[in-house]
Amino acid sequence: MKLEITGINHTYDVDVLKDLNFSLDNHNSIAIIGVSGSGKSTLLRLMSGLEKPTSGTIKINDLSVDNPEYKKHVGFVFQQHNLFPHLSLKRNITLILEKTRNKPKEEAEETAMKYLKLLHLEDQVNKLPKNVSGGQAQRASIARALSVDPEIIFLDEPTASLDPILTHEVLTAVEELKGLGKSFIFVTHVLSFVKDFADYVIYMHEGKIHECGIPDILENPKTNELNEFMKKVR
Amino acid sequence: MVSNSLSLNKLKTIISYIAAIMTVIAFMVFVALRQTDDFSFEPFFPYRNVILNGIKNTIFVSIISLLGSMVLGFILYLLQKSKIKYFNALIDVFTEIIYGTPLLVLIIVTAFLIGPAFNSYNRNLFGVLALIIYMSPYMKNVYKAAFSSISHDQYLAMDLFGFTSFQRYFYIIIPQVIRILMPPLMNNFSLIIKGSALLNLLSYPELFFTIDVAQSRNFAYVEGYILMWGLYLLITIPLSQFTKYIERKLSL
Repeated sequence: MKLEITGINHTYDVDVLKDLNFSLDNHNSIAIIGVSGSGKSTLLRLMSGLEKPTSGTIKINDLSVDNPEYKKHVGFVFQQHNLFPHLSLKRNITLILEKTRNKPKEEAEETAMKYLKLLHLEDQVNKLPKNVSGGQAQRASIARALSVDPEIIFLDEPTASLDPILTHEVLTAVEELKGLGKSFIFVTHVLSFVKDFADYVIYMHEGKIHECGIPDILENPKTNELNEFMKKVR
Repeated sequence: MVSNSLSLNKLKTIISYIAAIMTVIAFMVFVALRQTDDFSFEPFFPYRNVILNGIKNTIFVSIISLLGSMVLGFILYLLQKSKIKYFNALIDVFTEIIYGTPLLVLIIVTAFLIGPAFNSYNRNLFGVLALIIYMSPYMKNVYKAAFSSISHDQYLAMDLFGFTSFQRYFYIIIPQVIRILMPPLMNNFSLIIKGSALLNLLSYPELFFTIDVAQSRNFAYVEGYILMWGLYLLITIPLSQFTKYIERKLSL
């Protein structure tokens, strides 16, 4: 995956991201870490095209994220599963495939079952999101993101609302997806998952990319801030 | 063991409810027998068709009012969301006035003042209109709650997957809104049924009015009031039970 970030500024009420310039090539699993309010979720949302930056451009695999074509290559997993609550786990996927990807019913059904099985949900497919556990709903949401066959999957703290056991369950499921040939960009607080799954780490601090590199930087931080962060998280 | 104590609990609940209902009935029997020696609904037998008609009229007028207030409530909801400040202010003022007005007063003002001002002496029409107007701000709130319950993230997801505007409403927003809308809508229906009793004031032949007329001929006042009360409960209690059932069934 090729990533180019040029002159990104983003402001809500305060500056969240300040003059971000960054480029990266040949990494397929990028973790973004940092304390709350460091701008990591915002950066993820901008890269996914979910939100538009106040100024600046982002290109991923040579495609600008504000190009309408870009959204077709992207899957997004939200903090809370964000499944459509009135549809069964399976219908959450088939509706999207039938209506927005114009797939025939049978094919949509087949694809949905394939990804739900991949995330070990074959026994839950006809249940509503409210009737499954938080971990199962989050896995269904990952299956939904995969079902449109995106190149890149964004995960925004996918386990933030889950207890440690469900967190482990979801993250193990994500690790199993390594072989699918997809790229992942994710925000998480679970450092063991970063070490196991990421091949590149971005540490955000006060709206800037403060330190970045292969996951080894977590063992030997160069900056004081990352050092402090690692001490606190441990 | 667990299932035993569960069913015991259930049994206790059922017995408690039976006891509670018996208490209320005992009280009513006491009240009735204090004022009449030969309590009987028989004097109302000749009027059964009139009363049945009254029930039909009550239900008919309530359904019309429900539908009317759903439409007017939706218009109010749209005007409140409008970017034109005047409309927002108008809805605010209207809502405050309706909240502050007793239904009885609204019916009188609508049928005896507003109607004639437009050269209409069709009191029934303006009576129903008063019910519709009275309920519309409550309906507006129902819409507001239902639409705002769809989270921002859901809209982002629809955006990301590339749903068209029509698809968003048809497959995702409206099905959810209807589920959220149903229970409060049916509570409002119950409010309308109860409120429609006030239309007797305009001599509209609904349930209250028909029994009132029968009473003035057979002089069975005690039985009449109890019959009237019972018949309203016969409509509203099944409705509220059904609402609870729907609420459980449709909740998201």
